[in-house]
Amino acid sequence: MFEGPIQDLIDELSRLPGIGPKSAQRLAFYIVKAPAEDARRLSEALVAAKDKVRFCTECFAVSEGDRCRICRDPGRDPTVICVVEESKDQAAIEKAGVIKGRYHVLGGAISPLEGIGPDDLRVQELLDRVQRDGVQEVILATNPNLEGNATAMFVAALLRPSGVRVTRLASGLPVGGDLEYADEVTLGQALEGRREM
Amino acid sequence: MQLVWLEARDFRNYREVRVELGAGLTAVAGANGQGKTNLLEAMYYLCSLVSPRVSSDLPLVRAGADVAILRGEVATSGSRLLIEVEIRASGQNRVQVNRSSVRRKRDLRRQARAVFSSPDDLAIVLGDPGERRRFMDEAFVANWPAKDGAAPAYERTLRQRNRLLKDWEGQVGSGGPPGLEGWDAELITNGVALTELRAEAVERIRERAASEFEALAGPGGGTLLVAYQASVSGDPLADAFAAALDSRRADELIRRTTLVGPHRDDLGLVVQDLAARGFASHGEAWGAAVALKLALAGALANEIGQDPMLFLDDPFSGLDPARRERLAGGLAERGQVIMSVPDLAQVPPGAAVLGVEGGSVAQE
Repeated sequence: MFEGPIQDLIDELSRLPGIGPKSAQRLAFYIVKAPAEDARRLSEALVAAKDKVRFCTECFAVSEGDRCRICRDPGRDPTVICVVEESKDQAAIEKAGVIKGRYHVLGGAISPLEGIGPDDLRVQELLDRVQRDGVQEVILATNPNLEGNATAMFVAALLRPSGVRVTRLASGLPVGGDLEYADEVTLGQALEGRREM
Repeated sequence: MQLVWLEARDFRNYREVRVELGAGLTAVAGANGQGKTNLLEAMYYLCSLVSPRVSSDLPLVRAGADVAILRGEVATSGSRLLIEVEIRASGQNRVQVNRSSVRRKRDLRRQARAVFSSPDDLAIVLGDPGERRRFMDEAFVANWPAKDGAAPAYERTLRQRNRLLKDWEGQVGSGGPPGLEGWDAELITNGVALTELRAEAVERIRERAASEFEALAGPGGGTLLVAYQASVSGDPLADAFAAALDSRRADELIRRTTLVGPHRDDLGLVVQDLAARGFASHGEAWGAAVALKLALAGALANEIGQDPMLFLDDPFSGLDPARRERLAGGLAERGQVIMSVPDLAQVPPGAAVLGVEGGSVAQE
């Protein structure tokens, strides 16, 4: 335990996800030792992020303005929507550059244990977009875990009456990986999803 | 498979101990409370990274110490494994095999195979169905360590689905909570996987357990029948599961919990034509419990082509002298067996002896 402001800083930092007490302490001492200018920039960035970051009114990804960069881009195909759980998933897919369409950020996955139900996700907004924009295909890119699968299943069932094509990301082996290091569940799924050559 | 030597530091009541073990039968002898079970526990932990007695690692670290250390060498038919485990009172344990670290428990478990029988196993025979489900899960994980995720995956799906049903505020006639279909599908996928694994594991144990029990009980001593009583059965199983969920849907919405699935499985144990749970004597029940574990070891030997290490904690308690003798007689052909006995007089002939007293071991 330290005294005063340094301990307050450690306490605040250790509340962040993925930061334990030891990391928090290291970060806090780094900030205290760093030039005053660096610390000020960090604090301003924190405040600005909290004040200015908004969510796109269309797809609910983090955005600087009303609508995000992707939804504003006329070059993106509005008839394909890729559904993800969080903005960070969108960023990951965007980095791959494989989706020519737009996104829809649900804001999480259905998890009754954490008290997250369908009403807490932006599902109705997705249905509205599909109706309104003449969407042809919805790609469900929720995480390939229990909660992500259940969410995909739920969304797919709601989309079925609209007749839109609904697809789900495949699960399988990582590219550039070794078979011997793949875990058995992944290997099993990869085998199930094998393709004719 | 053979544990060749073991070193333990600050483990339970052991400050520092080293034992060498032979390939056959070893008896760990000593009075009550001297550390026989702790020594067997250390050996089993080294091979499986779980304690057969406690689910948390905290009690394993000697009071006053921060870290317990187990080291040992296991010889299998193909290789030698130097296993080193640091058990911390709080925080992540460290495990190394042949000096390189092991990320997942199953990476060690599929190389070092062991079966542990303890007096607590009596609960498999006499306790709630949950104890028998745990045994079935232990049995398939022992056989196929790669499948150790099956039971936790099902458990988590079940908890999610139950919470959904419990928190639902709608009326029974209105069709159920939104999102239930998604959890139905997950429950079926994970439930089918678990049911099939249990069925296969019981199939491999069933006849072996019957003959182990007979060998133990002797002529006229009765029989042990083992049968998997699955909550869902049918072919294909997934369709049967879906149909069963469908038919219990209304009930589930009223009772607000999942009524179909392997969390309602049981393992039928019948001794002398009567259900073991209600009718077996203490000796019979213990005989059945030992027979199940010996059968598991037999199934494992068949699966991997060599005998697993077998740990028997106080196997003679509750057995009459004739049964003791029959059990001891069969232990010579089971590969490496390490057993504990409270009395030197009970040491089977031909066994090596480790004398345990107050946390130290005398090799004789």
